[in-house]
Amino acid sequence: MSGANPHGHARLHIGADPRALPADVAAHVEGCADCRRFRDEMLMLDGKVHAALELPLSEFRPRARPAPRLALAASVVLALVVAGGFWLFRPATALAGEVVAHVEHEADSWNMHQPLPPAEVADVLRTAAAEFDSPYPVVYGYPCPFRGHRVAHLVVQTPHGTMTVMLIRHEQVRRRTEFSRDGMQGVLLPAGAGSVALLTRDGPVPDAVAEEVVSRVHW
Amino acid sequence: MNAASRGTTGPGTFTRLLEMLRPDLMRFAWWLARDRSVAEDVVQETLIRAWKSREELKDPAAARPWLFTIARREHARLFERKRLPTVDVEEVEALGDPALATDGDAGLIDLRRAILKLPDEYREPLVLQVLGGLSTAEIAAQLKLTQAAVLTRLFRARNRLRTLYGLEPAEDVE
Repeated sequence: MSGANPHGHARLHIGADPRALPADVAAHVEGCADCRRFRDEMLMLDGKVHAALELPLSEFRPRARPAPRLALAASVVLALVVAGGFWLFRPATALAGEVVAHVEHEADSWNMHQPLPPAEVADVLRTAAAEFDSPYPVVYGYPCPFRGHRVAHLVVQTPHGTMTVMLIRHEQVRRRTEFSRDGMQGVLLPAGAGSVALLTRDGPVPDAVAEEVVSRVHW
Repeated sequence: MNAASRGTTGPGTFTRLLEMLRPDLMRFAWWLARDRSVAEDVVQETLIRAWKSREELKDPAAARPWLFTIARREHARLFERKRLPTVDVEEVEALGDPALATDGDAGLIDLRRAILKLPDEYREPLVLQVLGGLSTAEIAAQLKLTQAAVLTRLFRARNRLRTLYGLEPAEDVE
C-alpha cells in the first residue's frame, strides 16, 4: 500500500474502479472494515451505473435519413438498418436476459460447425481471463464485451446439440437459475468467483453437461 | 465475433463486427451528445469513417476502443461544424427523451439524470470505462490525461452518485 494515507489511496481506487482493484489495495481492503464497506457500497452503486448507462435502445426511433454520401457507406448503413432487429433489443436488467440478448445478437454463432484450432480458443480464454478445458469441440469463440468486461463466448458441439457457453468472470450468481426465452433454454450457474451461462435451442440443458462444464472452468 | 477470433477484417466480417458494437456505440454517442439526433449522426459518421478505415484495424479485439475513439472525434467535429448549442439537462428531460422517460424504473431514471448532470470531465471517463470496458490507461490515452487524473475523475464521478442511494460522499481525493 503506497502513500501516507492508505485509506485515501484505497478509496481512490475503489471509487475509480471497484471491480478491478490493484493487489495492494485489495489486500488493504481485506483487512480494513471501513474500506471493505466502502468497496461493497461502490460495487452496489457500480451495478446500478452499469444498468443506467445501458440505455433502452428499443425506445429510440430511427429517423428518416437523406441518402448517405458514399455508395460504399450506404451499403454499410443499409446492412446495419436491416440488422436493426439485432440491436434494437430490449435491455434486460437480469443477467439471464442480457445473456439471451447477447446470444441473439450473435445468432450466426449457432451455425458454426468447424472446430476452432486450440490456439484460437486459448486466445479467447486468455483475453477473457478464464480457463476452460472444454470436453466438447469448440466451434465458435470470441472474447465479447459484456457488462463492461470481456467474457468468453463459446459455442460447443455436445452429444445433445449445439450449446452456447459464456464464461462470465465478473458476475456472480448465488444459485442455479434456469431460464427460457425466444426458443432458447438456458441455465446460469455459479462457478467460483464468477458464473457460467449455458444456452441451447434443443431443450433443457442436461444436468450432466452443466456439471461437466462448470467443473472445468477456473479463473 | 467469429471473424475476430480468426484475425480477419474482411468486408463481411467487418460489417458483423460493426453490427455487434453498434448498440454500445449508439449509447456512447448518446451519453456524449445527450441528444438522440446528434447521437445518430455521430454513429452514422463513425460507421462511415470506420468502414473507410477498416484496414487500419489490425486487431479486431481492439475494435471497441477504436470505434469509440472515432465516435469521440466525430462528436467533436459535429459540434465544431454545426456549432451545436450546449445541451441543457432540464431541456433533455423536458423533451421526454426515451432514455429518461420510458424505462419505468424510477431509480434507474433518477440515476440517468444524475449521470447526465455530472460535469463532462467526470461523465466521459465513466462512460468509457463502464460502456466501453476501457482500462484507466486506455481512457488516459483517449482523453490525453495522466492515469492519476483519470482515477481522480472516476472517483469523483462515482462519489457524486453515492448520495442518490443515501450514502455519504467519501472525502475527496487529490
